[in-house]
Amino acid sequence: MKLNRARRITVLVTATAVMAGTAACGGNDSGGDSATGTISFTWWGGDDRAEKYQQAVALFEKANPDIKVKTSFTDFPNYWTARSTEAAGRALPDVMQMDLSYLREYSENGHLADLSQFSDIDTSGFDEAQLQAGTVDDELLGLSAGTNTFALFVNPALIEKAGVEPLPEDYTWEQYNDWILEVAAKGVKTEDGQPIVGSGDYRGALWIFIQWLVQKGVDPYTDDGQIAFTQDHIREWLALGEAPDTAKAFASASRTTQLKPKSPFLVSEQATELNWDNFTASYITDMDTEVELMPVPTGANGSKEMFWKPSMLLSISNNSEHKTAAAKLTDFLTTDPEVGKIFGNSRGVPSNQAQRDAVVSEEGSADALTTAYEKDVADSVTAETPIPIKGFGSLEATWLTLSEDLAYDKISPDEFVEQFWAEAQQATQ
Amino acid sequence: MSVIEASAPAQESPPTRRPRRWKRHDVLAGYGFLTPWLIGFFALTAGPMLVSLYLSFTKYNLFGAPEWIGPDNYQLLLDDPKFHQAVKVTLTYVVIGTPVKLAAALAIAMLLNNSRRGQGFYRSLFYAPSLIGASVSIAIVWRAMFIDGGIVDRIGSGSGLDWGGWVGNPDLIMPMFVLLTTWQFGAPMVIFLAGLKQVPAELYEAAAVDGAGPWRKFVSITVPMLSPVIFFNLLLESVHAFQVFGSAYIISNGTGGPAGSSLFYTLYLYQRGFQDFRMGYASAMAWVLVLVVGLLTFVMFRTSNAWVHYGGDSR
Repeated sequence: MKLNRARRITVLVTATAVMAGTAACGGNDSGGDSATGTISFTWWGGDDRAEKYQQAVALFEKANPDIKVKTSFTDFPNYWTARSTEAAGRALPDVMQMDLSYLREYSENGHLADLSQFSDIDTSGFDEAQLQAGTVDDELLGLSAGTNTFALFVNPALIEKAGVEPLPEDYTWEQYNDWILEVAAKGVKTEDGQPIVGSGDYRGALWIFIQWLVQKGVDPYTDDGQIAFTQDHIREWLALGEAPDTAKAFASASRTTQLKPKSPFLVSEQATELNWDNFTASYITDMDTEVELMPVPTGANGSKEMFWKPSMLLSISNNSEHKTAAAKLTDFLTTDPEVGKIFGNSRGVPSNQAQRDAVVSEEGSADALTTAYEKDVADSVTAETPIPIKGFGSLEATWLTLSEDLAYDKISPDEFVEQFWAEAQQATQ
Repeated sequence: MSVIEASAPAQESPPTRRPRRWKRHDVLAGYGFLTPWLIGFFALTAGPMLVSLYLSFTKYNLFGAPEWIGPDNYQLLLDDPKFHQAVKVTLTYVVIGTPVKLAAALAIAMLLNNSRRGQGFYRSLFYAPSLIGASVSIAIVWRAMFIDGGIVDRIGSGSGLDWGGWVGNPDLIMPMFVLLTTWQFGAPMVIFLAGLKQVPAELYEAAAVDGAGPWRKFVSITVPMLSPVIFFNLLLESVHAFQVFGSAYIISNGTGGPAGSSLFYTLYLYQRGFQDFRMGYASAMAWVLVLVVGLLTFVMFRTSNAWVHYGGDSR
């Protein structure tokens, strides 16, 4: 093939055009740091939360016509894989929902902006403890949108069906175990032929272990961000649930695995479940039966030692080119009463006074339940929030995986401790 | 990949000619057209690979700067029980899944090799699962079929087998994955079919004259004549099996559960990199995988001379 001059030029031009086409990605609208332009906002959660955020963002755009908000959302695990990749490329969204478990990772190398520098963010309506929880090295990196605390969710109809007495308010961990064994001993089954159980294996959540540690008077972490509990503490904790585990009185591992993303509690096969109290809304929505909330089991010293934890925070990325606009949005979403009304207690009970006051809860609604519960247990909330250390997110995941191995009898409690400890050394370094 | 293509099966090589001298502008034009691909290769494949090789010798959590730690990551791998679990799961899958899939592909290809009415329809029909097989929706459907009360459970209890849902059972999840991959036999089947067409009919006729039965024909004619295609399929499917990810991720909700029984190598790599933020460790895992797959390919090529027959090829 012989090309004449004209053809040759065409070829080169074509090739160059293709190159240019592939290279022409990106391109920023350089808006500078003013309160105009398009900002991105992302969160984790389901359809319900998405709908609420859409409403809230619409209100914001109405109040700030110069700012456009591009929203996106995903479920919790995938949320973090996406964010971590963005962090590596310094391309985090302008505003994002942040979790206490991951705040310390993202604070490293200045990925998050110090929110106290923005005049647009009014922190006066927030509880001091909630502001503290979002503070790392004297910088406010996450603004708490709501707070939660642990609750024992109870399905009274199922308890009645199982033929046992309900738990007393001041029950201890040991009584809880006995009660779980009692439910299993009755051997009642659901219509689907699944055995009714009293509880899932509560040992599987790292946060519940931490709640138990706090009740023992053990500080989970040192001041410089290291683990302060010992391997013996984990052993003791695992031994606590051994009796119901051996008696197969917990929801079976196989059943729990297969029901995901639902849970045995959600499909009315399990009578109680320890979980954060902002789950009320999703339980009420997804279950066609009444749900009650009780405080956590009482610790060895006779008190419950509960704590408030920010259920979610909002953060602004340092790579944002529209920080002022981002600050306006962050402030709006956490302090505006209308937004408070939209969300109710579904992000946790609002941390901001104005939003808390704006929550209208109809009797019997999920919001009313949570509000009433948090009022009830306020006296039991006596402990300081144990702020997770760096690497906590991956420790939580490791704990969960090892619990599953334990539930399937693939490892012994000693192996659990050994493997968790080895991981912890790596993760918290 | 170029190695595989170079030794592609049973092609009559044309008589060797003196290599033509390329005109300079031809070369230029060639590279001009290749430019997009070259940029893609260096920017998207070679570059990241080199970076990941560097990262595998660092401690890197995606947030801070990578910190050089030498071969520590590789050393940690040796003591990591989850790593051993991932290797075990993946090898089981490769060693069992690949031959089962190829056997199914060959069996169906032989059935479809007979000419009869509507054979085009049957071929499309058997190929269809491979078109949709790798998709996310199939993994979701598969999961639904194999849980408690799913169709497989009901068929089981209907026939007196009380195996329950496979998804929640650590002992049955691997058979489920093998079934899933076997079901997607379309691609190797098509290649086998092409290979079968190449086997000269007179060989079978001669064998029939000598009184050979179907089994004898299969062992003495089909398999040897097909060996280059078998080799090609085996290589491709093994390499493919080492890299299974999507279905495992969806069926186990990204956990590799129950109890690590579906913790495929790539899934664990992903967890380490993006969930535990240990990208250095994940990079080390990636390189171990590259080396193992490379070594396996090398060994297969070296041993292939003993069992692969290239018809008409004098080597």
